[in-house]
Amino acid sequence: MTRVLVVDDHPMWRDGVARDLTEAGYQVIAAVGEAKQAVRVGASLKPDVALVDLQLPDGSGVDVIHGLLAAHPTMRILVLSASAEQQNVLEAVKAGALGYLVKSAGREEFMEAVRRTTEGDAVFTAGLAGLVLGEYRRLAATPASGPAAPQLTERETEVLRLVAKGMSYKQIAERLVLSHRTVQNHVQNTLGKLQLHNRVELVRYAIEQGLDGSES
Amino acid sequence: MGLEVALWRAVTVYRFASLGYATILMINTWHIYTRPWLGWTVLGAMGLWSVLATVGYAHKGLREWPLLIADLIVTVACLLTSAWVVPPERLHAGSATLPMAWVASVVLTWAISGGRRRGVFAALVIGAADLWLRGGVTMVTINATVLLLLAGFVIGYVVGLARDAERQLQRATELESATRERERLARGIHDSVLQVLSLIAKRGAGLGGEAAELGRLAAEQEVALRALVSVEAPPSAHDSADLRESLRPFASAHVELASPATPVVVTSLVAREVTAAVASALNNVRVHCGPSAKAWVLIEDETDAVSVTIRDDGPGIPAGRLDEAAAEGRLGIAQSIVGRMRDIGGTAIISGADGTEVELRVPR
Repeated sequence: MTRVLVVDDHPMWRDGVARDLTEAGYQVIAAVGEAKQAVRVGASLKPDVALVDLQLPDGSGVDVIHGLLAAHPTMRILVLSASAEQQNVLEAVKAGALGYLVKSAGREEFMEAVRRTTEGDAVFTAGLAGLVLGEYRRLAATPASGPAAPQLTERETEVLRLVAKGMSYKQIAERLVLSHRTVQNHVQNTLGKLQLHNRVELVRYAIEQGLDGSES
Repeated sequence: MGLEVALWRAVTVYRFASLGYATILMINTWHIYTRPWLGWTVLGAMGLWSVLATVGYAHKGLREWPLLIADLIVTVACLLTSAWVVPPERLHAGSATLPMAWVASVVLTWAISGGRRRGVFAALVIGAADLWLRGGVTMVTINATVLLLLAGFVIGYVVGLARDAERQLQRATELESATRERERLARGIHDSVLQVLSLIAKRGAGLGGEAAELGRLAAEQEVALRALVSVEAPPSAHDSADLRESLRPFASAHVELASPATPVVVTSLVAREVTAAVASALNNVRVHCGPSAKAWVLIEDETDAVSVTIRDDGPGIPAGRLDEAAAEGRLGIAQSIVGRMRDIGGTAIISGADGTEVELRVPR
């Protein structure tokens, strides 16, 4: 049984989500409302999947994602947010979240997203695809001082643009004459490269700041 | 009140410096004056008035007409008394009056208190008195008056600029605190109302029937409310706009917006025209695909162009239909979008493979 951690500061929402998940056969091992508590609980209970809200009273959901993945790198994280703060959403997926869903998404869409997160598949809305596409363009346009910025292949750009225009993987597969799985892989790669780049950047920053322990 | 306070202080310094100058002149030349005792009396009066005026102008509430007029009268009186002290032939030849440069302080005072008009007026009054004293306008006598006029005008002008700058700073500060208050409200609303609305939307959709309708209404209100409380960045420059902000109001339960996380800066003309084009494209979606059709708006910031794509999940346009309609001269809304884009040097491409797709493109 898949073990799920729910992190959201709104009790009503937290309970609603937990109930939906339990009905669908998931085991909700904890539902917490604060960032620090979430990292603590996540590190000790090691859930398979975490559903994380981006706005928490004592910190950002991005910090929670960093904390959870540091304790348990294979944890699968889905960001659920009512937030229109696009920069936060982008930071969250760069930090390692597998996908993002708006809170107003319907129940079916929500359960589908949780199922895909559990399987380790990226969950892309059109909005997230637009953000990722924009981030690659930004990285390409700003001269990099450190490691080479990741680039999208032509096919990946094509797929990502179609996702950003609201097309389903099935429609994209039909239009580009690809298998559904290939489309899924392309989308997954765009996210993977961005997360890898982000990790490299973080390590580089840590070394520059002398945080790697090599200096006193 | 930065610059104004500094100017008032500067005038005080000038008043006493010029008083010192007049005193030195008096010490050097009193023996040739017709009535030295009157000269010393005037100098004493100038000293006394300098102190009184300094104390008076130091109070913001006293910087009004009575003090300004008294200042002008005292100054003119001190100046005119020169006629009974300095020998007339020396005055006509352009030599110094009793108060000398001290008369300029009232011009500066008037200019600081009310801008260049007041400065020029005071300069004209002093100038007229000076010319009467010297018995006519000559190259030698007009000099001082011209300098006074210049001082009154320039200082008055600078004060006007400073006041404008201060007013703008004030407005910026107000705007900033209003934005902060809005952010606070937005946080509050986010934590409560928006969460509940999205929960109702989600639950309602699951229950079906009338509840689904209620859920749909809640979802619409959630999007509208979020757009309302989302804090806009204050406009950075007069002629540029963030295309994301311009298009944000279109987001709804049926329209999903996808954009970069960073501002997409275009000129305000481009923002206006693109916004209008998106509005008519979305309107077209409502008309042709019904009110429940979904639409997506994708904003892309490429290095050489900005593009906005509007796509719907309707039946699309069969190949050839578009050319057919264009040939018959009835393209309606599509035509207006293409025209709008052409006017700002961009293009609009309409295609209909999976739903209708309108791609607007404006080169940078």
